[in-house]
Amino acid sequence: MSSESDDENVIRYGTPLEPFEEDDIPTKRKFQQPSDQYAVDAYGRRRFHGAFTGGFSAGFGNTVGTPEGWTPATFKSSRMEKAQLSSQKPEDYMDEEDRSEFGIAPMQVQTQGEFSGQKRAKSNRFHDGPIPGEPVLEQILRPVHESAAVRMLRAMGWRDGQGTGERLKKTERKKAKEQHKVYGCYMPPEVRQDNQGSADESSDSEFEYETLFAPDDYEPYILLCKNDRFGLGYSGLSRHSVLGSLVGEYGSGDRRSRLVMKEKGKKVSIRGQAFGVGAFEADDEDIYATEDMSHYDFTLAGPEKQMTTKTVQREKNVLEGFVKSNKPLPAVPSYPVPTLPRDYRPQPAAQRKTRFEPTDKPQRDQGLGRHELTAEARGALLGESQVKIEPPKPLIEVTTTTPNKSQTAMEKLFGKNVNFVTEKSEDFISIKSSGADLKTFKPFASDPSKQSRYERFLENKQVERDSDMDNVSAWERDREMLEFEQAAKLYRPLSGVMGDRFTHASQPDDALNPMCAVAKSSINYGLASEEMVEAAKKGAFGVMTRRTVDWRPESLVCKRFNVPEIGGRQEQKKEDKPKVSYSIFSYMETSVHNKESFTKEQHQFSGSKSISAERKVTEVPKTNESVAKVQEQPNKRMTVAELFLKESEKSKDTGQEVTETIEKFDKIDLYKAIFLSDSEPEDETTSTNFYETPKNIERNDSPPRGIFANINFDEINSWKRSQKDKDNSKAESSIDTKADEKSEIDKTKDIEESNMYGPKIPENLQLNTVINTNFKPKFRSKDERDESSSSDSWVDAKEVKSKKHKKKSKKHKIKHKKSKNKKKDK
Amino acid sequence: MTETLQLEVLSTIHCKQQVVRAVRFNIDGSYCLTCGADKKIKLWNPHNDLHLKTYGGHANEVLDVAGSSDNSQIVSCSADKSVILWDVTTGQPLRRYRAHASSVTCIKFNEESTMAISGSIDNTVAFWDVLSRRQEPVQILRDAKDTITSIQVTDHEVLTTSVDCHTRLYDLRIGKMISDYIGSIITHGSLTHDGQCLILSCSDGTIKLIDKDSGELLNTFMGHETNDYLLENCINDKDNQIISGSATGEIFYWDLISSNITNKLVHTYNKPVVSISHHPSDSILLSASEDEIKLWGVNSKE
Repeated sequence: MSSESDDENVIRYGTPLEPFEEDDIPTKRKFQQPSDQYAVDAYGRRRFHGAFTGGFSAGFGNTVGTPEGWTPATFKSSRMEKAQLSSQKPEDYMDEEDRSEFGIAPMQVQTQGEFSGQKRAKSNRFHDGPIPGEPVLEQILRPVHESAAVRMLRAMGWRDGQGTGERLKKTERKKAKEQHKVYGCYMPPEVRQDNQGSADESSDSEFEYETLFAPDDYEPYILLCKNDRFGLGYSGLSRHSVLGSLVGEYGSGDRRSRLVMKEKGKKVSIRGQAFGVGAFEADDEDIYATEDMSHYDFTLAGPEKQMTTKTVQREKNVLEGFVKSNKPLPAVPSYPVPTLPRDYRPQPAAQRKTRFEPTDKPQRDQGLGRHELTAEARGALLGESQVKIEPPKPLIEVTTTTPNKSQTAMEKLFGKNVNFVTEKSEDFISIKSSGADLKTFKPFASDPSKQSRYERFLENKQVERDSDMDNVSAWERDREMLEFEQAAKLYRPLSGVMGDRFTHASQPDDALNPMCAVAKSSINYGLASEEMVEAAKKGAFGVMTRRTVDWRPESLVCKRFNVPEIGGRQEQKKEDKPKVSYSIFSYMETSVHNKESFTKEQHQFSGSKSISAERKVTEVPKTNESVAKVQEQPNKRMTVAELFLKESEKSKDTGQEVTETIEKFDKIDLYKAIFLSDSEPEDETTSTNFYETPKNIERNDSPPRGIFANINFDEINSWKRSQKDKDNSKAESSIDTKADEKSEIDKTKDIEESNMYGPKIPENLQLNTVINTNFKPKFRSKDERDESSSSDSWVDAKEVKSKKHKKKSKKHKIKHKKSKNKKKDK
Repeated sequence: MTETLQLEVLSTIHCKQQVVRAVRFNIDGSYCLTCGADKKIKLWNPHNDLHLKTYGGHANEVLDVAGSSDNSQIVSCSADKSVILWDVTTGQPLRRYRAHASSVTCIKFNEESTMAISGSIDNTVAFWDVLSRRQEPVQILRDAKDTITSIQVTDHEVLTTSVDCHTRLYDLRIGKMISDYIGSIITHGSLTHDGQCLILSCSDGTIKLIDKDSGELLNTFMGHETNDYLLENCINDKDNQIISGSATGEIFYWDLISSNITNKLVHTYNKPVVSISHHPSDSILLSASEDEIKLWGVNSKE
């Protein structure tokens, strides 16, 4: 009863809230019916239509195409009525509420451009004056345009800084100021800070007579857009950094949210993020303080400790804010350098040098360029002999035999059938005849004493002190020494150089020995040493047959294989040029600048022999001796001719037939290597003794022509050879002197082989290298592209060779087996 | 596990390629590629005798072919000295590499198919970067002194075999080239799946199992005929049987441990089985002899 009566007694205003259910979780957002979720305009029409309800209703509320709706226009054009260009504007598709204040395209009254005061910048049409461009004055002075209203006000007597309206007396003006319109909460007058109030009081006395004043200017009340959702007057946490200059909030100059009150003469200033204390909050003392890191203590100890630190006397050489440590710095631990094993030779895998790296900096701007060559020197480089000049002391070799003697020996060697160009006969020198006719060139012919010194220098590689050199300073002597060295490198006749370039077939060519068939390449064991072959025969694979060589994958290969690069990244190796320019000039330059490669070639050539297998076996000790002798003077250069003269003398003693070596000196050799080949079908049965018949495998297959006929392309390419190669060659040459140290030789051979490119060394030759280490054939490495091209065409050369030979002597049956090409065809 | 599975001919495909030079399973063994003397490469589904696509563009016999690991590319090498990278779906050549001086005999992709590695009669092995547009080989290995007969690529190793009787293992990680002299021409080399052994087919009629680390001979497998053919070998998916073709037209299965012949499949008598390819995960073998490839496997219907 009571409740009902209560209900009746209570007078209710407004609509009651919906009663909460017990289980109901009060949510801010009520569940909305789908119909509630549509945006509707003021007329209750649905606002968005179309795709994803994003389209404009355009006032037609889904009625497009219907009689009451908007009918799409159709294009119509006839002869009578031409179709008119109708331009559509977005406004055509808008409702009035779109154009209203809160619509998507609010329309507002705006001063037209010409009255707005902001004149559009005139199109830049400058007068053609003496000074081109925009007039400077126009840049400095910008015309001020006044809006039409200002101009009208001016005309009515208004001045800047005044308000508009009737002129007022002072008292009236004061009154007006006091009761000016305020939006929002009206601030009590005592709280308001009128700073001009006192000034007004003081000026009262001055204007006692009735003076009319213009009303105060109305200061537009600019509303700042509130675009955050914080409370009114809230400003976020101070952005000042902890270490910033602004330590507390009290020192800050202007803070946005600040409430200053004056209460009973006591000024209360409230600053902070927000005003007011919530109803449920306890009365905290400092709720208005700006949160700042400086308010926090970072030390465990109290502030009195800080006081003590402040009182610490400042010491010398201590920066402000720093205290000198009373502990000395910990000593830097020093680790001794590890002791290396005695025979340790650093050879990281990454530092494996390739022979294709440029040896030195090519000093192209050096004085000894080709332009400084005399005609003689140039001719000499090209291998021409100078008839007039008597054969002087050759540059490189030590001629122990007299020319006469060598002549006879040569004749004996070569016999009659070989068309050998002897050194005397023509006005050119064959490449091979590098013996006694080498000329010393006289680069210092103008200065005879210098020239003589130069010649002496050539003899014993030392600038000797001479009578006229006494008065020359050491510096000049050094300089001259350098000069001589350069000259010695440069003024070396090409014939000698070329002779060194060409390596002879170390085995009888099949063209020369038609009874000797080419063995199947399976018995040509690649680079396998005899031990390896033996081991393989015995089936003892493993240590004996294995060789490990450093090999460096390219960085890109490592990258693609996802393998870390060995030794880290190295500087990019110079890309090999795809083509070599076979130019004599490049040859000349390299011959000048590549001393190492140069001497290497020398050594290689002096060691290379072509002796038939059986002779070599019998001749081992002899040749060893002779070569050992030769090698005893490493500085002095021997040519092939001399070597062979010596050798032939030896072999004469032993009664050996040496005619097989004739072709060594022969141009035919080269010629055959280039042109001759056989392409006969393989026939393994006829021949009794199988010799691996080596081709002139190192030769470039393309026949030299014209000016290139005498030029060694290897030399041209040799400037790209790596340091390592050179080192190897040096090692070889040094090892050659010690013929007995076989193990070392094997080692170097391994290195050499691993570095060798191109076709494999013939097996017989391999044998020889084992037996006769002194006659180890030095296959000159070839340049990459040179090699790749030659290795293929090498095969072709063989074929051609045999063909030619067949024509020459039909009765000879030449066996030439090439296994590798046959293999592939079923 | 030495039990011998009875393998039967599951399907025979007449490739119409004159002579099939190589047959290769793709990465997962669901498709296969054949290349032949007709200068074409053909893509098959051997499991249901389906010819899928033909890739033409080589100027001479295609000697070897390999599919990329994502099956999107094919790389092939030919006697026309070129290496061609193909797009599988369009059948168009993407790149044509010409740096070898002679016929390119063998080709492989690396593990991620970012490089193609080719070996040639010009004694060189070339690394081709198939990702970039670079036309020159990234690296050329010139250690071999004679024709490269086969290449195998693992994640960090490249194994090459050569007519110069050497097999060369290039280890990219340690930067070493390990060459082993084998004593006779190696016609094909493959690696066991564990990567510990090399299986080398030699022209002297043997297949040698060489320990990779020491270079020692572990086993020798004989019984087949070589007859100067470049016969291929492979190992089965379980690493317990060595498989090789023979000049007699048979396919030999040897037990890896005992080196006994455990199985002998007859492809066609007296027609040499030059190319074989084992399924990567199943006991399925593809063999190529002349113009015919055969798919061998266990007949599941029985």
